[in-house]
Amino acid sequence: MKTLIPLFLCALFSGPAFGAVGCDLNDPDRDVARLFPSSTGYKTQYLSVKTAGGEKLLSRIENRLGDKFKGLYETIDVPYTLYEIYKGKEKIGYIHGVNQKGDYGGIQVFLSIGTDAKIKAFYIQKLTSRAARELRSKDFGAQFTGLSLKDFADYDPVTGKAPDTSPVSKLKSPSAAAENDFHNVLRSVKKNLILTDEFLFSKAVK
Amino acid sequence: MNIYSVAYKNLLRKKTRTALTAAGIALSAWVLATLLGFNRGYENGLNRDIDNMGFQVLLTAKGCPYEAATLMLKGGTGLRYMLEDVVKTVTSNPEVEGVTRMLMQGVFDPNKGENGAIAAYLGVDAQTYPKMKGYLEFKQGGWFTDNTAYEAVMGYEAAELEQREIGDKLLIPGLNAELKVVGVLKRSGTQDDGTIFLPISAVQKIFSKQGKLTGLGIKVKKGADMDAFENRLYDLPDVQVVSMAQVKSTIMSLVTSAKVIVFAIAFIAVIIAMAGVVNTILMSVMERYGEIGILKSMGAMPLDIFRMIWAETAILCSIGGMAGIALSLATARAAEAAVRHFLPFTPNGNMIALDFNIAAGAFGLIVVGGLLSGIYPAWRAARVRPLEAIRSEGE
Amino acid sequence: MTNIISANGLKKIYHRGSEDVHAVDGINFDAAPGQMTAIIGPSGSGKTTLLNILGCLDNPSEGTLSVGGEEIFGGKKALSEKILTGIRRRNFGYIFQKFYLIPTLTVLENIMLPSTFYRNCEVCKTPKEVLKQLGIENRAGHFPAELSGGEMQRVAIARALINSPKILLADEPTGNLDSKRADEIKEILRSLATGGITVIMVTHNLDLAKAADRIVEIRDGKIV
Repeated sequence: MKTLIPLFLCALFSGPAFGAVGCDLNDPDRDVARLFPSSTGYKTQYLSVKTAGGEKLLSRIENRLGDKFKGLYETIDVPYTLYEIYKGKEKIGYIHGVNQKGDYGGIQVFLSIGTDAKIKAFYIQKLTSRAARELRSKDFGAQFTGLSLKDFADYDPVTGKAPDTSPVSKLKSPSAAAENDFHNVLRSVKKNLILTDEFLFSKAVK
Repeated sequence: MNIYSVAYKNLLRKKTRTALTAAGIALSAWVLATLLGFNRGYENGLNRDIDNMGFQVLLTAKGCPYEAATLMLKGGTGLRYMLEDVVKTVTSNPEVEGVTRMLMQGVFDPNKGENGAIAAYLGVDAQTYPKMKGYLEFKQGGWFTDNTAYEAVMGYEAAELEQREIGDKLLIPGLNAELKVVGVLKRSGTQDDGTIFLPISAVQKIFSKQGKLTGLGIKVKKGADMDAFENRLYDLPDVQVVSMAQVKSTIMSLVTSAKVIVFAIAFIAVIIAMAGVVNTILMSVMERYGEIGILKSMGAMPLDIFRMIWAETAILCSIGGMAGIALSLATARAAEAAVRHFLPFTPNGNMIALDFNIAAGAFGLIVVGGLLSGIYPAWRAARVRPLEAIRSEGE
Repeated sequence: MTNIISANGLKKIYHRGSEDVHAVDGINFDAAPGQMTAIIGPSGSGKTTLLNILGCLDNPSEGTLSVGGEEIFGGKKALSEKILTGIRRRNFGYIFQKFYLIPTLTVLENIMLPSTFYRNCEVCKTPKEVLKQLGIENRAGHFPAELSGGEMQRVAIARALINSPKILLADEPTGNLDSKRADEIKEILRSLATGGITVIMVTHNLDLAKAADRIVEIRDGKIV
């Protein structure tokens, strides 16, 4: 009986192996250093559409996205974690993550964004997909480097299409099996960029 | 004007000293209330989590429990399995009201985080498990009904992480098994929030563990002789018997030991605060020696002086006690976060359960402690002889 | 006229190692109602010790004392502090050189302090009466730190009068005051005596002593 207690306690009390409601980096110290190699530190902010502007902001975001927030988990009060990245005292960029519904599970997409609002790095922290390895590959992620919200302006997440003139049309799905989740990833990137713009860059201009 | 207002104004003479002494009392009240709340919260959480298991006895496969525990902690299966024919053996006992089969399995998912993580799945019996977990409620959908179906019911947090709703697909990585989500549970504040439930036969097939179980939950009839029943179970080969009643009493005896330590800490905190009270009031009496002599000369009886000084102690401890209780209420959630961070095993639910009874009890203890501490200084003051006091003041 | 206070053969002996110090050495003392007595003498002569015995602040080693016809000390066992407090409460008011006002209480509250302890006192005056009597109504809401020395002594006198004492004992009442304030206090004490209160004071102030009805000089514990 004595030896069973630790076993039982493990079963009873080990916390759920699953993450929190928002989209946080699993190990910020490690991940920030990897995604922003020149950084020396970071600060963390927690935001939501509800607190940042409410229904009016939600409406504007949905218009810009070209799609409504939907389902049980894409709601106005979802918390977003914004990491402000510093080199010494100078702010050199941001890291921001978004949860996206995928074909088989949740997709956590993080973007490293420079102060010029351009993507510096792309990182899928979690993904359940038959093509998970291809979607998390370096080659796939590298396609997004240098892109900005402007480049995604004409991308329609509902149809999954972009005009030929749009830089997004040049992004390639790694395989046929990855097609659905590739479009899910694009939606999450566009949403990520819009949120970052609304939370940060547009505010700075104002 | 009365003795109590005079006592209160006496405390205002040395504001800093009074404030510091009250702060010491507040800290001890804060420690006392928080620790009492933690005791209750932990015990309540334990009871709730154990009771929510739904069955009184759990059979698991015999094996090295530490290795099994390690594997479970890191994810993966138990080291050993029970064969399903144990169900027949167990249900033949008259004490048994019902049993429910369980098979826990896991796979390593390399796409979960930077270094991968385990994805665990609990296979349960579609007919018997829901009955034993009657307290679980659904946000969407309901339980699967066919043990062979490739369907899943997800705890709320598991569903939220995977962004799953009913009708969505779920993939078991590595094994390429696709399931359909048929139910999403509401938050229960238990381990079930992070669990993905699958029909047991489907799990046995997907993981090639046909005829095998990692656990058998046993619900015992009311009034059954638990000891006799458990003794018979101990005779079964290759199984271990985990009795919730024994676990509960073992855990509670551990909790009681922890309680003793907790109360000892709280007691020490209160003693230290009360020492501060004695010191402060005694110093105050010594400083006002001559004045007390004058009060006696103008007709204050020894009892009047005693009550006045004692009232100063009571007021000081009341103010400090109230501040400490308020502080404990304000910091309960932060204290809970700290406890969860440092303790390896914490039950779900509120860990710091502060209610009116605890707050009142802590406040009462502080005031009683203060009154006891104040007896000596008040007695010293009451014994002052006016002439000596006036003379010493004159000197 | 019957004396309000009557003492015979009062002695106070302090035992200091092998030596006995006779602070008061066989003093007879009487005072009539409304009489003002000044006790003078060099330092260490026993004047304050005598005052304290007369005021029931101290027990004599020998001798008798009666106050208002009630025998207090009469060769019996020493009275308890509780009994002495009751006697002091009913008969005496005290004022001292250092005023001894409570700094956190206002003038009004300081004056009311004795009545806090002497509940259901039928003879007690109202604070308003004594404030008016001492001419300090306009200072009722002030704290002692805001008062002059003379005002503080008036407050102390008002406090001593609230219980309507028959006897007012004063130990160096003008010791901490300048001559102008000392004269004011002298006039107040004089008027109290005229009003029927027996005033017994220890003083080094000859002007104050001369205002008394009689002067008693003490040397080495004896009246000379």
